[in-house]
Amino acid sequence: MSLSSNSPGRDTRNRKRPLAGSSNTGHFDTEDDHVSSIYNRPRNRSAVEKLLDTEKASYAVVGALTALAFALRFYKINHPDQVVFDEVHFGKFASYYILREYYFDVHPPFAKLLFGLAGWFVGFDGHFSFENIGDSYTEAHIPYVGMRALPAILGSLTIPIVYSIMKESGFSTVIAAFSAILILLDNAHVAQSRLILLDATLIFFMSLTIYSYIRFRKLRYWEFTAEWWFWLVATGAFMAFTWGSKVNGILTVFTIGIAVLVDLWDILDIRKGYTMDHFWRHFAARAVGLIVVPICLYLTFFYVHFAVLTHSGTGDSFMSPAFQETLIGNEMLLNSQELRYYDTVTIKHKDTKVFLHSHPEKYPLKYDDGRISSQGQQVTGYGHNDTNNEWQIIPTKALPETGRGRIVRHEDVLQLLHVNTQTFLLTHDVASPLMPTNQEFTTVNMNDHSRHNDTLFHLNIIDANEGDPWKSKSGHFRLVHVPTKVSLWTHSGTLPEWAFKQQEVNGNKNPTEKTATWFVDEIISDETGIDIQNRTEHVAVKEPKKLNFFSKFGELQLLMLQHNAGLTASHPYASNPINWPFLLTGISFWTESEPQKQIYLIGNIIGWWSCVVALSIYVGIIGADLLARRRGVAPIPDPVRNRLWNNTGFFVLVWAVHYIPFFLMNRQLFIHHYLPSHLASTLVAGSVLNFVLSETINYPISIRGPTTRARPAMFSDLGLKGPVMVAAFTLVMFIMYVYMAALTYGTPGLDGESVNSKRLLSSWTLHFAAKKTETI
Amino acid sequence: MSGSVRARRPASPPLGLPRPAAPQRFPHARQDHLDADERRVAASRGFKPGRSSHSPGGLNLAPAEWKLLLLVVLVASGVRLFRLSRPNSVVFDEVHFGKFASKYIKTQYFVDVHPPLAKLLITLAAFIFGYDGNFDFKDIGKVYDHVPYVAMRMVPATLGVATVPLAYLTLRALDCRATTALLASLFVTFENGMVTQSRHILLDSPLIFFTALTVFVWVGFCNEDKFEPFTEMWWIWLILSGLSLGAVVSCKWVGLFTIATIGVSTIWQLWVLLGDLRTPPRTWMKHFLARALCLIVLPILFYMAMFEIHFLILNGSGDGDGFMSSEFQHTLGGRGMADTFADVAIGSEVSIRHVNTQGGYLHSHPHNYPGGSKQQQITLYPHRDTNNLWRILNATADGGHESDWQSQPLQLLKPQMRIKLRHIETDKALHSHDVRPPVSDVDFQNEVSAYGMAGFIGDANDDWYLEIAKGDKRDKESGKRLRTLRTHFRLRHALTGCYLFSHKVKLPEWGWEQQEVTCNKNAVMANSLWFVETSTHPLFPADGPKVNYRLPGFLAKFTELQQVMWTTNAGLTDRHTYDSRPDSWPRLRRGINFWVKDHRQIYLIGNPLVWYLSSAAIFAYVVVRGILILRAKRGYRDFDNTKVVKYDSLCGFLFVGWCLHYLPFYIMGRQLFLHHYFPALYFAILLSCCGFDLVTSTLRPRVRLQIAAVLIIIAIWNFQYFSPLAYGNPWTKKKCYNAKWLKTWDFSCNDFLDDYAQYAGIVPPTPQRSEPPVATVGGEPGGRPPVLVNDQIPPVEKEHTTVAFGKAEPGVDIFAGDAVKDIKSEHAAPSPPAEEKEISSAFSKPSSTETSVDTEKKKGEEPANAASSSTSEPIAAAGKEADFSIQTHPATEAKDEEGHAHKNPQGPLDEPAAEANRAAKELYPEAQHKV
Repeated sequence: MSLSSNSPGRDTRNRKRPLAGSSNTGHFDTEDDHVSSIYNRPRNRSAVEKLLDTEKASYAVVGALTALAFALRFYKINHPDQVVFDEVHFGKFASYYILREYYFDVHPPFAKLLFGLAGWFVGFDGHFSFENIGDSYTEAHIPYVGMRALPAILGSLTIPIVYSIMKESGFSTVIAAFSAILILLDNAHVAQSRLILLDATLIFFMSLTIYSYIRFRKLRYWEFTAEWWFWLVATGAFMAFTWGSKVNGILTVFTIGIAVLVDLWDILDIRKGYTMDHFWRHFAARAVGLIVVPICLYLTFFYVHFAVLTHSGTGDSFMSPAFQETLIGNEMLLNSQELRYYDTVTIKHKDTKVFLHSHPEKYPLKYDDGRISSQGQQVTGYGHNDTNNEWQIIPTKALPETGRGRIVRHEDVLQLLHVNTQTFLLTHDVASPLMPTNQEFTTVNMNDHSRHNDTLFHLNIIDANEGDPWKSKSGHFRLVHVPTKVSLWTHSGTLPEWAFKQQEVNGNKNPTEKTATWFVDEIISDETGIDIQNRTEHVAVKEPKKLNFFSKFGELQLLMLQHNAGLTASHPYASNPINWPFLLTGISFWTESEPQKQIYLIGNIIGWWSCVVALSIYVGIIGADLLARRRGVAPIPDPVRNRLWNNTGFFVLVWAVHYIPFFLMNRQLFIHHYLPSHLASTLVAGSVLNFVLSETINYPISIRGPTTRARPAMFSDLGLKGPVMVAAFTLVMFIMYVYMAALTYGTPGLDGESVNSKRLLSSWTLHFAAKKTETI
Repeated sequence: MSGSVRARRPASPPLGLPRPAAPQRFPHARQDHLDADERRVAASRGFKPGRSSHSPGGLNLAPAEWKLLLLVVLVASGVRLFRLSRPNSVVFDEVHFGKFASKYIKTQYFVDVHPPLAKLLITLAAFIFGYDGNFDFKDIGKVYDHVPYVAMRMVPATLGVATVPLAYLTLRALDCRATTALLASLFVTFENGMVTQSRHILLDSPLIFFTALTVFVWVGFCNEDKFEPFTEMWWIWLILSGLSLGAVVSCKWVGLFTIATIGVSTIWQLWVLLGDLRTPPRTWMKHFLARALCLIVLPILFYMAMFEIHFLILNGSGDGDGFMSSEFQHTLGGRGMADTFADVAIGSEVSIRHVNTQGGYLHSHPHNYPGGSKQQQITLYPHRDTNNLWRILNATADGGHESDWQSQPLQLLKPQMRIKLRHIETDKALHSHDVRPPVSDVDFQNEVSAYGMAGFIGDANDDWYLEIAKGDKRDKESGKRLRTLRTHFRLRHALTGCYLFSHKVKLPEWGWEQQEVTCNKNAVMANSLWFVETSTHPLFPADGPKVNYRLPGFLAKFTELQQVMWTTNAGLTDRHTYDSRPDSWPRLRRGINFWVKDHRQIYLIGNPLVWYLSSAAIFAYVVVRGILILRAKRGYRDFDNTKVVKYDSLCGFLFVGWCLHYLPFYIMGRQLFLHHYFPALYFAILLSCCGFDLVTSTLRPRVRLQIAAVLIIIAIWNFQYFSPLAYGNPWTKKKCYNAKWLKTWDFSCNDFLDDYAQYAGIVPPTPQRSEPPVATVGGEPGGRPPVLVNDQIPPVEKEHTTVAFGKAEPGVDIFAGDAVKDIKSEHAAPSPPAEEKEISSAFSKPSSTETSVDTEKKKGEEPANAASSSTSEPIAAAGKEADFSIQTHPATEAKDEEGHAHKNPQGPLDEPAAEANRAAKELYPEAQHKV
């Protein structure tokens, strides 16, 4: 990656720029002296600019920034030596990788695999549970510094990438440094990347994706060259890394997707003069680079994930029985047994984990809403172990005395006998207590043959083939009533007092309802009434089964989506997206009351608010430009305008796509979800600063193709005011950074008064704030 | 660096060069869209070219067309008013909107999620025809009695009929042919869904009408604008557009989508005008301001005027009170409060209210906590009651007896005074100690109880420091000392330093579900603020300074109500048996069960032909427009064709209207119904007819007419096929099953009889059968029948136990509370004292007059009803007493409490507002925050 590819003198093979000596030069407006002088005599720039724009200066600047970034992120990285915030999760996942125990998480595995790798590399044996925030690492001798170093390195390397993005986009060294400094001296980015969290990885790869895409775009006049292909594939690959780090990375994929669509739309334009063949070639190339490559990589992460996690672990219960049987030491694998007729079993609902239950109490004749019940015996869902949960499986066909014929199989029709009351489970065309649309479940005396048909149920084992036996634990099934085709179902609604607030069980009209899934939890006894432990004995230790990678992958993806959407429980530090750019809320990561230390995730308020101002200025400029153009006025020099629309527009797109979708999400949201957007907004801020300071830009920056027409060149020139302003701003930023550093690094401890003084906005909920005491 | 529009522009000329004028991208709008004959006619009358008359906005109607239009209106009236009086019982959401009309007539305050215009129109009709507001619209299927329901149904029905000519005129104004316009108007006429919806007391028909009106007027305005702006007619059309917009949004908030449609259209107009460099900026500004004035300011004024009327009518207290702030409540009749002393001194008798939660007054009653310290409960109670009264005592008086204050000079309450609060009824002090509270069992909360006894002065745990948080800006004194109503203060417990606190947490049944009060060490500021509502002191001179609530002005009331409506609307997320999501609407996946009774059914379902044709038109537009865009990109010059340009702009407008009336529903989480699609459907129908216009544009007029006739005949056949569901007419099972074209159409066929002949035996229930013998409440003619047992005839009940189909149920009205609460509110309604006697006589009557079968059934219900009425009557009475005079009888109350605790878990002094209040706070806490 070159950091200053754009400095004059490089790329000369492509850019034999004729001094803008076309016939138009004489007509420049005298008002725009500066701009025209840059047009006319590109070498005629201010001394400072010339100095800074050299390759050497550029390397020096970026080197200094990177060094500082490492320093700030590694400073006291061993503090606190305790589990902080989501290290609870991600540290734990790393230890699972090392122990090779299966776990389940909503995020894709790439970043967590890296942590596992880092942990393994520094000699972590995985035997630490990361149970609570505040658990000590040193007492357990965990090499946590090594694991924290990974995000810190990636977080530090983000700085030179941001610098290069701006440099590649044709901004001068000063502007590129400005954007980088906004990230470098940001407390939120620093705090987030010093801990075992996924965001540093996400942001690192996201910025690399942007960088590669810009390099790719700049080569658009050298289409289908090796270099062009390289950056195209690099974009796709980094995109996959981003997406594989955290589920929000999908937004980066959307960003690139939108940009590519706009790009293709341009190529389609007849005025470009391309044939349709040419268009399809471009289309296919992007499909390969940005769809096929990323998907392959993404699948690879999961392949590695499954390959590493071969043992049974905490994530088992999320998965389907077929999946669970592929894990070594899985309970289902060990205890799953074939069920035989006349076995007494307990039946559990898969989603709500309640037992199918019945007790001698009857349904009341009349419900509150005036509907009438059958007054039969209640059938409910009950969460605790109880002998009333026991049901016996009664056959409806003749059985042999012994042998395999006694095994219950898929598609069998059976009856369920409630053992304690000696009644058969039954459902009929009567509305259930809570839902007028669903059927009531009740039981009927086993000697009452008049209702025989209503007690017949069809056993429908999920994903089973004809003749498969019904197994305990693993055999998830639906019980479909034969005459009315309703399925045994329960939901989280509780019945009133008369049923002891137990859960309602009723018949769902949809015979293939997904949530109507049950499984046999335990076999209590067989037909002779003897505890069936003996059946386990002849079951040897089973080999884990194999399952196709793609079906494993598909199942896990689906679960991740469902659980991601399901993360709606409230969290004390969850916040609304509208608060994020303005930095209204932070997250308390960690506290220690003795010396009153705390880590509070909050950004550098000067940097964040500058970014917001920059975004609004950008909108203003674009709006004004649109209106002016509409009235036939062109106030902005074309190269600058071009850069504002295309390049800065892309940054704004990155910002918006990484931010706006959060408004539509109902899940728990935290301010660290804004960090990728914040990075994009610093890029916008740099660009806007350039526009405010000067009307010049390095132009053109795309590498000229063999047939591309030469354009009048322009060079960026900020003069002296650029470095001075950026230096002043950096100083202010730095002071603010240091001021807030105690909250970022969690040290030193703060007394109440100084906590109060660091609470710059009243909405920040810092700990240990001194109470405002009034004298009595 | 995204690819962009910019990249394909040619390099711009260097600065300073005059820019060449941009080439005209589209041809100018045609000035003369009339054919030669018409132009000749126009010229002969001396009008400008391209203008055939001064008729509105370039609307060219031939005289014969007016006759045609009249005919269409007659047909529409026939279709939509047919047997409007059937069924004579409550249908679907008439439950709500009928009820609202009753409340308007009785001027009882209520809250609803919809703005008032449509409801006011319905009320007006009811009022003119002499409705007295005494019918309760309780359940679907309840037979009307002394309700001019036909007149009320006439309002939506008439507006529904009026939509039909508007469809015709709109298409004509959009420059479509008469045949097309006729087709559209007949499509609208024979749309089963719109017919069903417009025949009942529902708000959607007015909404659709005003949407259609707005579109028509706006199209007229656009036509004017194309010819000559700022003429008199131009202004008239523009002002009408504004008023019509105001009316749409005053019917339902969905009207905002119509505003968005017109807004997009306006912005597009202005954008085009801005690009026309011949227009000087001054003229452009004039255009801009005129539109801003008429399309923004005018609708807002109209909307606010509707609310002004709403507030003027609803000046009495009702079950909506609980949703509003205490200031607001005091603007309602019967809710006012007498002026109270402005100052508070040691010895004052005060009632203290919690600021943030609308939970009510600091309250205690002679019941103990079942756990914790087992001392007497302290709660927040929403209603006025003597149990809310506390006496402020000085805690620093050494060895002082509590009557010290009588002998001491008056000592006004200042910040940081150490005080005790003595509960007057039970003579116990407000007390806190290191015991966890019953519900919020956390470390930083302490229990608050009432402790002590007469003669026992109490301990240091009864002491509180007064901290003044905030005074009123207009009362400078209130920041310095405690002033009634003006000062917000906190009470800090002297020994533990915690603050007296309450939050939206209910006590269990042993605390009558009143709000929990605790002492919180980490109290959120807002939830630990209190104010004194009433203050009396025997030593204050009677003419001392007094205060009362500052009554909010119209704007304050208006904004408060808007907020309540907004939060409530967003919170309507409960599922309904017949709700549906937007994606199912264009496919007409299922309808809504409106009403089932006597083997007849009303079920909202569209006319399949019209519906699917309109959806197909939308789909076709998207496809064709997409292809056109791609073709334009590849250099085909389709848009040079004037025909393409004409239909593009025409269909584009309707398509944008459809999108804006449909797509926003996707982001709404609230309960949605098929009828929410109707405004979008209107646009879709017009679009489908424009498609017809385009497809047949090259055919001869006769052929075009023939095609239209075939379409209309199919539509009418479809309509009549499903019409029994629209009108609630007899139908047979067989026909019904045949009509289930989609499996998902869930009207219940089992409900119909096998044969038409069987219907002859069934007389539709009439009020005459059972009403006369029943005495009405208060004994006035036309009064409210006291009990409604005669409704529940056994067969219906049997039906309810089966699950063959979902029961017809109205949309959820969040403000209404559930059925049990309704019964209570009936009895508590202000009525003459004779009430009790009348009711008991009414009860005895049916049992003697009805048939034996019925009596048996009723006997079971009677005791329950009687019990509930007898329990709630004295309670309501006691409540009233407490309201009007401060002297009450604690003994009676206590007895009531004991006796009826199981019936009235809400509290010793229950009343409907308590229910409403509770529901409001549970569901929409945000609405209660601001006070």
